[in-house]
Parts: sequence; C-alpha cells; structure tokens
Amino acid sequence: MLRVRNLRCGYGSLHVIRGLSLHVDAGEIVALIGANGAGKTSLLKALVGLIPPVGGEIRIDGRDATGEPPWRAIANGVALVPEGRQIFADMTVMENLEVGGYRNPDRALPIADVLERFPRLRERAAQLAGTLSGGEQQMLALGRALAARPRLVLLDEPSMGLAPLMVQEVFRTIRALKEQGVTVFLVEQNAVAALQVADRAYVLETGEVILEGEAADLLRNPEVKRAYLGKGYKEVWE
Amino acid sequence: MSVFDPKHETMPRAALEQVQLERLQALVARLKRNVRRYRDALGDRHVSSLADLAGLPLTQPEDLIQAFPYGMFALPLREVIRLHSTTGPEARQLVIGHTRNDLVNWGRLTARQFAAAGMTEHDVVQLCFEGGLIKGAAGYTLGAEMIEASIIPEDPYHIDYQLAMLRNYRVTVLITTPSNARDLMEVLRTRRLDPQSLQLRCVLLSRPVPASEREELKTGLFADVRCNFGVAEILNPGLCVECAEGRHHVNEDHFLPEIVDGELVVTTLCREAMPLLRYATRIAATLAADKCACGRTGVTLTPGTRLDGRLRVNEITLYAPQIAEVLSHTRASGTPFKLDIAERGITIGLKISDALFPDIMGDLVTLQQEVEREFATRLGIHAEVRYLEAYHFASSILPQGTCAPFATRP
Repeated sequence: MLRVRNLRCGYGSLHVIRGLSLHVDAGEIVALIGANGAGKTSLLKALVGLIPPVGGEIRIDGRDATGEPPWRAIANGVALVPEGRQIFADMTVMENLEVGGYRNPDRALPIADVLERFPRLRERAAQLAGTLSGGEQQMLALGRALAARPRLVLLDEPSMGLAPLMVQEVFRTIRALKEQGVTVFLVEQNAVAALQVADRAYVLETGEVILEGEAADLLRNPEVKRAYLGKGYKEVWE
Repeated sequence: MSVFDPKHETMPRAALEQVQLERLQALVARLKRNVRRYRDALGDRHVSSLADLAGLPLTQPEDLIQAFPYGMFALPLREVIRLHSTTGPEARQLVIGHTRNDLVNWGRLTARQFAAAGMTEHDVVQLCFEGGLIKGAAGYTLGAEMIEASIIPEDPYHIDYQLAMLRNYRVTVLITTPSNARDLMEVLRTRRLDPQSLQLRCVLLSRPVPASEREELKTGLFADVRCNFGVAEILNPGLCVECAEGRHHVNEDHFLPEIVDGELVVTTLCREAMPLLRYATRIAATLAADKCACGRTGVTLTPGTRLDGRLRVNEITLYAPQIAEVLSHTRASGTPFKLDIAERGITIGLKISDALFPDIMGDLVTLQQEVEREFATRLGIHAEVRYLEAYHFASSILPQGTCAPFATRP
C-alpha cells in the first residue's frame, strides 16, 4: 500500500530523514520506533505532504505521491493522527468529527461508525473538545481521522501523555482497526507497546533505519532491548 | 510440495527488491555504527538502490581471519548466544556468532527446505552426521523443531545401529551426508535387504551430488533425494531451498547473492551477531533469474567448484597446507611427499631416501603408524602411508610438496 524508497527530507539545509526506505502492506500494522529527534514525526509529515521531500520516492497503491500536497494524501486514503492530538479545542466533538470527514459527502456513515466504536465520544458529542480528558482527546483525534474513511492511518505517538490504562485502550483500538481492514503505520516512543501491537517494525536512529523485521523478532533483538526496553548496558564492546 | 513461508519465498520481484533495499540500507547503517572494520571501509557511503551494492567493498575470508575471533561481531559477545567455528583459507580458524534471532531465523530458513522436501510435523527424521558436520546438524535440528517434526540425532559410525533405528522408529526422512547415504545403500544391497522395507520417503543430503549419484541413491534407498547447498560462513543449511524442480533458490529476503568474476558473493541481510557485507565465498557459481514452476521467486544458484583449494575427505573439509602441517609434526618432517586424495581417505606417498630409515623395516612401520595416528587425531581423517621411490616424483601429476620441519615454519 505504501512504498517509500530512499526518502530524504528536512528543514532547510538540515536533513532529518537521510535516505530511508520502508513499506506498509495492506492490512498490516507497522510500527516505527525511535528516540526523540530520530526523525519519526518528520517522516510522517513528509508522507502526508506537510514537508516537501528533497529526494526519494513515496508511492501509495503503486502511484507516485512524492511531494503531493496534504489534501491529496486525504484523497489517496491516508489520514494522519498528529502528535499531541491537535484537536480543535473550541469545537464540539461532533464538529471535530465532521471536519475530519468533510471531504466525504457520505461522512454521516463513518461518523456513526466512529461514535459506535468510541461510545465515550457519543456521550460527549456536544461537548467542547478542549474539555475532554487526554485519553478522550486521543480517541477523538483517531475518530476524526477515521471519519475520512482512510485506508491507511498514520498515528504519531498515540500513547504520549496518556495514563497507562488509556494507553492500553488506545492500543486495543489500533488492534481493532486492523481487524476491520484498516492499515496502520504507527510511530511510537513506547517501544514495548508498539512492538506488541505491530506485525512488523522499523527502528529509526538519526534519520536512518538501522533495524527492521517482524515485531516479535525485534522484541528479542539485543540492540532494541538495550536502547528501548531498558536492558541497561552502558559500554559497547567491539 | 508445500512452501513454508509463501509471503517471502514467492514474493513478487518488485516487493522483494523493496525488502532487500530496506534491509541493505539498515545493514549498512548498522555496520557503520557497530563494526569498526566496516566503518573504516564504508566511510560515508550510502546505499540508495540495490545497484549501489556493487560499489561497496567486498569482505574476504582473510578479513575474517584478521578479525578473529570477535572483530567482525556487530554486537557485544555477551549478546551472542552461540559460536560456531569453521575453517578458512590456509586452515585458519574462523568463528561465526549467532544471537537468539539468528538461530530463530536459521530454523525458519531450514524449515523452508524441509517444507520444500514435503516434510511435515508427521515425519520422523533421522539426522545422521559425523562430528565435523555438527554445526550444520544444529541448523537442521532448529528447522525440524520449527516444523515440529520428530528428530533423532544419530552418528553414522554404527551403520547397523543406524539401520535398526531407521526401522524401529519408522524414520521417514533421513538427513545425512552423501557418504553415509551411499554406505547405507551398500549395506542394503550387500545384505539383500529391500529398501522398501524402510519407511524412508525422503533423503536430504548435506551437499549437492551429481545427477547420476542422486538417481542411484533414489533407487537404492527407494526415496526422493534432495540436496542442500550452503556456505558455512553465511549459513549452512538455510542459504538456499532446493525445490521439487531440483533448483536451488536463494532465500533472497535474507541473502543478497552476486557473482563477481565467477565467484559467489553473498550479503547477509538479516544477521544480527555477525552480518557480512559482500562476503566472497571462494565458491564458483552461476545465478539464474528465470521463472520456476515451483513458484519461488528467489534466484536459482548453481554451485560450482571451490576456488580456494579446499578439499573434502570423508565429509571433513581441509586444505592442503594442513596435510603438510600434520606431516611436519611427525618424523617424516622434511620428507618430500605426494598426495592421492580420495573421497574416504588420503594416501600419502613419502619419498624414500637414505635419510628415511634406510635399513630397518620396523622403523618404517612405526613411522607409518605415527603418521596415520597424527592424521586421525589432528584432522580426523584416515591416511594411508606408502613409501615411494624417487622416480614416482619425477612424473607424477598428483599434488606434491615438501613439508618443512615444523620449527622453521612461520
């Protein structure tokens, strides 16, 4: 579904993503894990056209989508759930969902689906989004993306700032999305949670993929254990 | 016959090349971070397409020798859970490390070969290898466990016992060396035993054999015969899958093969403990990318001869300098010799001269025994010693040498 080859992008002369290739097949959950500053969010921004690539290629369903504007990403069936939710705080929950599905003339249907999937949002449909708790806001951000009825959802740090119980809820929802045939590309710092929910994963360090593979295999990888799962070795022997 | 991992084994070329590029880029990034030798060799080179591979430096067996034991490891030794020793050029020791994931992948890749040979969890497998092949045996065990077949490790030294086990346990798959398969066939033949009385369905040989030998074994053991091909430094078994069409498909999601000046060069794409970039295998080979009826999309590899003079005696690999070295540890040190290397043993012709015990026959016998004992203990092979007159050395086309006294060797 998504094929990225040798992507380079950044801000001005600073190249944050330095020749990165990855793919996400239909129906998969693929995670991208990495530390702060590795380039995870920049990659997602490049995928939806928020920052222009300076090299490489992005293909969605075999079609070249390199450098296309963000609205084309939505039209291509790609929806981004941004880091920190970024919901419209002064609008109601329902208005947020309608904005999410505004390109879709039949948006009532996906919105009804979203409200069924997240009963809490139904309860608070008329409430201002800014008054929701962190977990509810994350659900709303996800719901807003799903209202566009995407085939590929890009999730940026969905567990950030959430209580552990809410994190579990978010990841349960991601699993449910997969069961409904939605493809998920998940960017996370919470490596354990991401690798437990994903089918495959990539490990990003300073703009380069250094490891990739089945998520279960990466959970066993010594470098992943050392860097992300708290197996604390200080020195590296060569 | 079934395909163990259809997603990867029958992956369309475009998707496979995407996976290869991703893995190659990750490999290069990891090597630059974790292995000083590669960091120095690669500099700031970046791979943006598979075609860039040809511009990357080769890894020679000599590099592994220089880095021995752990200089090529990409992870600290404490994260390496298995070490396999193998022999490189000039009989120098090499070591290959494996992490948990490396072993899991080894099992998966070997399981691909098993599935291609029709093996399932219902099979009872006899794994019959000598000590020298114990490392390969470990891979076969992992593969059999992966497909949950019942595996019986056995040594081939007691062929009667092996035969009894084949019968008693109703073994359906035999994994062994060509030599052992031939021995077994001979035993059945000489004792006039019906091969059909065994339950054997498939014999998987540790290395390729000529088509005529394969046919002979097929008839003699009344079983399908498949051949493995692997490279100890890369993976053996697990590098290739021999399909029902008799073609060795490289597991290209894990290994990137190239042919450089006729030599097989392989990059390990997934190995964690000791990844190798463009490893020159010292094996002549050809690759073909045409379609195969089995549906596998990995290129097919036809192995040729060794390019480094590696010999095989009774399934044990060795190099000619090792023979000279063993001789130099005996009282035959300094004596010109010639070799006749056969499949099951070697014959060493020592040049008889005034210096070599001219009068006493007993001394010659003692020396003969000493040399034979040294070869058995140092190399594990059978050596027969003969004494030859000087004229044998003048016209011989057989390999010859003079083993310098050990003390003077560098």
